[in-house]
Amino acid sequence: MTAATLDPHEHHLTPSVRRGPVRRLLLGPGFIRAGWMFCLFGAIGFGLVVGFRWWGGWQPLFDMTPITLVSLLVAGPLGFLAGIGAFDYWTRYAIGSPTRPEDHSGHGARTWHDYFRVNTDHKVIGVQYLVTTIFFFIAGGFLAMLVRVQLARPGNHFFDPQTYNGLFSVHASLMIFLFVIPAFAGLANFVVPLMLGAPDMAFPRLNALSFWLLPIAGIMMLSSFLVPGGAFACGWTGYAPLCSTHQPLGAIFFNQGVQWAGASSIMTALNFLVTIITMRAPGLTFWRLPLLVWANFTTSLLVVIATPFIAGSQFFSMFDHVMHTAFFDPNNGGYPLGYQHIFWFYSHPAVYIMMLPGFGIMSEVISVFSRKPIFGYRLMALSLMAIVVLGFSVWAHHMFTSGMSSWLRVPMMVTTLLIAVPTGIKIFSWIATMWEGKLHFNTPMLFALGFLSMFVIGGLSGVMLGAVPIDIHVTDTYFIVAHLHYVLFGGSVFTIFAGIYYWFPKMTGRMYDERLGKLHFWLTFVGFNLTFFPMHLLGTEGMPRRVADYAPKFADLNMFISLASFGLGASVLVFLYNMITSWKNGPIAPANPWRALTLEWQVSSPPPIFNFDEIPQVVGSPYEYGVPGAQHAILAPSPTHAVEEVAAP
Amino acid sequence: MAAAHAEHLEHHGPPAPHYSSRVTPGVLGMFLFIASEIMLFGSFFTAYFFVRVVNGTPWPTPPYHLPVYVAFINTCILVTSSFSMHWGLQSIKRGNVWGLRAGLLLTFLMGLSFLITQAIEYSRIGFNTTNGAFATIFFCLTGLHGVHVFVGLSILGFMTIRAFRGHFSAEEHHGVEIGGIYWHFVDVMWIVVYLTVYIL
Amino acid sequence: MRRGSIASLLGIGIVSGGIAAAVALAIPWLPVSASKEAGRIDFVFWFVVTICIVIFAIVSAAILYSVVVFRAAPDDDSDGPPIHGHTGLEIAWTIVPTILVTAIGIVSAIVLSQDDAIAKNAMNVNVTAQQFEWTFSYPEAHNLTSATLMLPRGRETVLHMQSRDVIHAFFVPEFRENEDIVPGLTTTLNVTPTRDGTYPVICNELCGLGHSTMRSTVTVMEPAAFDKWLKGQSKAVTSPSAATAGAAVFKNNGCAACHTLTAAKATGKVGPDLDKLPAEAQQAKQPLASFVRTSITDPNAYIQPGFPKNVMPQTFGKAIPKQQLDALVTYLINSSK
Repeated sequence: MTAATLDPHEHHLTPSVRRGPVRRLLLGPGFIRAGWMFCLFGAIGFGLVVGFRWWGGWQPLFDMTPITLVSLLVAGPLGFLAGIGAFDYWTRYAIGSPTRPEDHSGHGARTWHDYFRVNTDHKVIGVQYLVTTIFFFIAGGFLAMLVRVQLARPGNHFFDPQTYNGLFSVHASLMIFLFVIPAFAGLANFVVPLMLGAPDMAFPRLNALSFWLLPIAGIMMLSSFLVPGGAFACGWTGYAPLCSTHQPLGAIFFNQGVQWAGASSIMTALNFLVTIITMRAPGLTFWRLPLLVWANFTTSLLVVIATPFIAGSQFFSMFDHVMHTAFFDPNNGGYPLGYQHIFWFYSHPAVYIMMLPGFGIMSEVISVFSRKPIFGYRLMALSLMAIVVLGFSVWAHHMFTSGMSSWLRVPMMVTTLLIAVPTGIKIFSWIATMWEGKLHFNTPMLFALGFLSMFVIGGLSGVMLGAVPIDIHVTDTYFIVAHLHYVLFGGSVFTIFAGIYYWFPKMTGRMYDERLGKLHFWLTFVGFNLTFFPMHLLGTEGMPRRVADYAPKFADLNMFISLASFGLGASVLVFLYNMITSWKNGPIAPANPWRALTLEWQVSSPPPIFNFDEIPQVVGSPYEYGVPGAQHAILAPSPTHAVEEVAAP
Repeated sequence: MAAAHAEHLEHHGPPAPHYSSRVTPGVLGMFLFIASEIMLFGSFFTAYFFVRVVNGTPWPTPPYHLPVYVAFINTCILVTSSFSMHWGLQSIKRGNVWGLRAGLLLTFLMGLSFLITQAIEYSRIGFNTTNGAFATIFFCLTGLHGVHVFVGLSILGFMTIRAFRGHFSAEEHHGVEIGGIYWHFVDVMWIVVYLTVYIL
Repeated sequence: MRRGSIASLLGIGIVSGGIAAAVALAIPWLPVSASKEAGRIDFVFWFVVTICIVIFAIVSAAILYSVVVFRAAPDDDSDGPPIHGHTGLEIAWTIVPTILVTAIGIVSAIVLSQDDAIAKNAMNVNVTAQQFEWTFSYPEAHNLTSATLMLPRGRETVLHMQSRDVIHAFFVPEFRENEDIVPGLTTTLNVTPTRDGTYPVICNELCGLGHSTMRSTVTVMEPAAFDKWLKGQSKAVTSPSAATAGAAVFKNNGCAACHTLTAAKATGKVGPDLDKLPAEAQQAKQPLASFVRTSITDPNAYIQPGFPKNVMPQTFGKAIPKQQLDALVTYLINSSK
């Protein structure tokens, strides 16, 4: 209760204001301090490496690989974080100074400047996340366009092989680690505390830190194109020993970028778990949680348990590269397949990390726009848990043809096929939710329906891939590319769009343009199917993935796909235009434009800086549409009002 | 709580949060973080499993030797430090500030001596990371643990400084409790590392 | 549910199932099947696709029906009926998919065990993969090597596959067979070819810069023709004529994949042009014969400007017997003049 000791008139005068303006510019938290501290920490890292090498008598003294790693990829970013002010509070705590009383100056957005600094408000962080991830979405999409340029016709030499392999590797890494996973984290960041009736996340400073790790990871991956030798070119899976010993310097940009993104992911997930467990409003039991909260709860469990494994796999790969260890070097006692086991032990759950929050968004959107309660709420929540448990037992289905012990294949096939059951339950329940409802086709609902149909195709091709004999034929072909895009684009990206449109009024306080939203949906939906459906055919006919060139018999389809993909790329421009103009000039949004019951819609748009004047009292399920007099929660602007509400049946 | 709440409204601060669990956020967060850490160690042990069990690498690979006895003494030091940590925490719970300070200082010194012994062991062990899979796993598992000891020591250091600057009391000692949990985790993890790498 | 709604739902289901089936049947999804294993895998493929079409038809019919029938009027602010669930229905859509996936699992496991069974009279072929080329050798025929795979029709062949550097994968779409080749391990693959013809051998695991050029072919032929080929090959590489033997060695070791050599009709562009060997020897300031030999056995000794290091395998010195290497060097010198 440090705030209680504060003089009420002083709270907007942060200590830095009392210093001189020049000193404040240089020493106060912000981008200038981040700049020089980046250089300072980088120099310290450089000194450490060179000092140790000199002390140990290692030659050459200036080895670029460890210097880049320690100075540019570890120490520098830490300096940046310290400079931007992510560690200010903890530093004071650690050295035992009296911590600065919480004056909430670092909380909430009053001007647009507040989005460009360390901010502890979960709503600001949510928006920061979304804008950053959309930036990387566009960057990754641009790389995909370049990939399609190269693949437009056979024998094309638009890019040299190193650049081409780098293009699709960075495309996938950005889309996975810097778009889909953090975009969901961003949406959840904004919505979950509101849905819980909490004033903020459990650890707001940790929340701010986990956001600021993201730009570091993204810029690291993108900048690998600039280092000598080019970007990492071993696919986002970075299989050893190709990635660990046969790659230029760019490979460690990937290894280390994944570490930063993974650390961000773990910290956010931990924050969600603690928030959901300890900060629910009174009356908000687990069986009354909105399914979005359930989805993020289960996702966070996956993240906390699985993500350390990708950290491990990237450490090993990087150590093989930098310290010449022998994790994956068979000539030295290493075991190359070990990489894949460790990698997929994270990266298969990662597929669910990229799906479950989308399932949550789906449940919210479909229920609200069908004006009906979620069908089979408990089974919906339990199927999420089932996916979490099963999700840890299916990793080797990525390795059916990897040369692993063949006895592992059948058990992994069985668990893989079984995981289709809880996923099927969810799809059937959504359809049953729509059944006999009053469907309103606003843009979020369109994207939700688009998701439903596309994800069914992705799920069914997943069942095909789960059957080992089919997988043996189509693995590592374009069938996989089609399948994964149906799951991650038709699945995750559609739900992200649904979520962005759904909560756009809440986030910005303004309505988006409905016509442009619908145009965006149809362009995306059609462009997506034209681009990715033919890839199934390419795959079954035997066109391998990750190739810069292909047999002439695939030429026509590839040209078609390339043209369609440019159309798909153009559809994003509609989205951007809609978002930017609506944010600036859109009509003012009411508090609850969708007539939803969940808590975030019961406060103003955008919500007050501290969410609620008083913690609401939850009295029922969040999906009681059509139940006369049903209420999810009682917000108490004045105590008398609340009593009246309860009294009325 | 009600009084503090009224203060908040005056400052336009947040409403007092409602805690829906008996576990405090800090302790729960630390336990979840430790779950994550265990999985990180798990990935390193998976690598150990592949190299030693699947590939059947001789352990230790001749001609190298592992200083089992030095490591045993180190183990004793680290295990003892867990007790002094616990003693410090119990002291502050009873309001004994000097007990906390002594406990933390003792724990810190033992942790530091562990780390220094480990560093000396590295420099005299006769092989480095490039000497095959055995050396790789040895350095990476003990190194990963060493990094955790370093982090634990930093936390201990901060707690010690705060303790000496008069920050903890019988009512308010959350920092010690949470940092202590981490230190116990580091100790337990060492026992696992010691058993798998040195003894088995 | 009203009777009319069931009828129209059924109608939409049949239409969407029909469209899906038409897409599935009208398009030639799979390349020709050229092995016994391919036939079994195709069976699983169509078995699963049929189940998928049925499920897809049901789901899309339900979605389309809802979209059309349950659309709310723009000014309709009312809510739908508060249906919270239906235990029977929920149990049904848990059990039925479980049964279906169990069936898929059983069929797959049976096919898998059939494809994995190895016949007694199986022929063995060793496959060596390296960046970015294939070498096949026949241990039962004096370890004769070849850059393309030749197989007799109707006889089960076990491929024993090893990699010299990174992970590769052996993939022949017409055989429906695919397996990674992992350094440090020997992986195996069984193929029983059933159809004469030449099919592509594709590296199906990203293996570096030349991944998309790492191609070879497999030719399936009459058993008699295969025996004849084997004999002819052994004769060619041991031929006293350097031209005949050298050309065979050049071909069998896959040099053509990366190099240009007019005499061998080779047009590869990955490595230096072998028609210009004398000029390149001059640039390297070495006598032609020793330059050519060193460049094969130790490719990194001299790198022609404009070409990257470490691309050419450094193992030819060991892999090619001395006599054949002599023939190859002589052949290259004579061809490039």
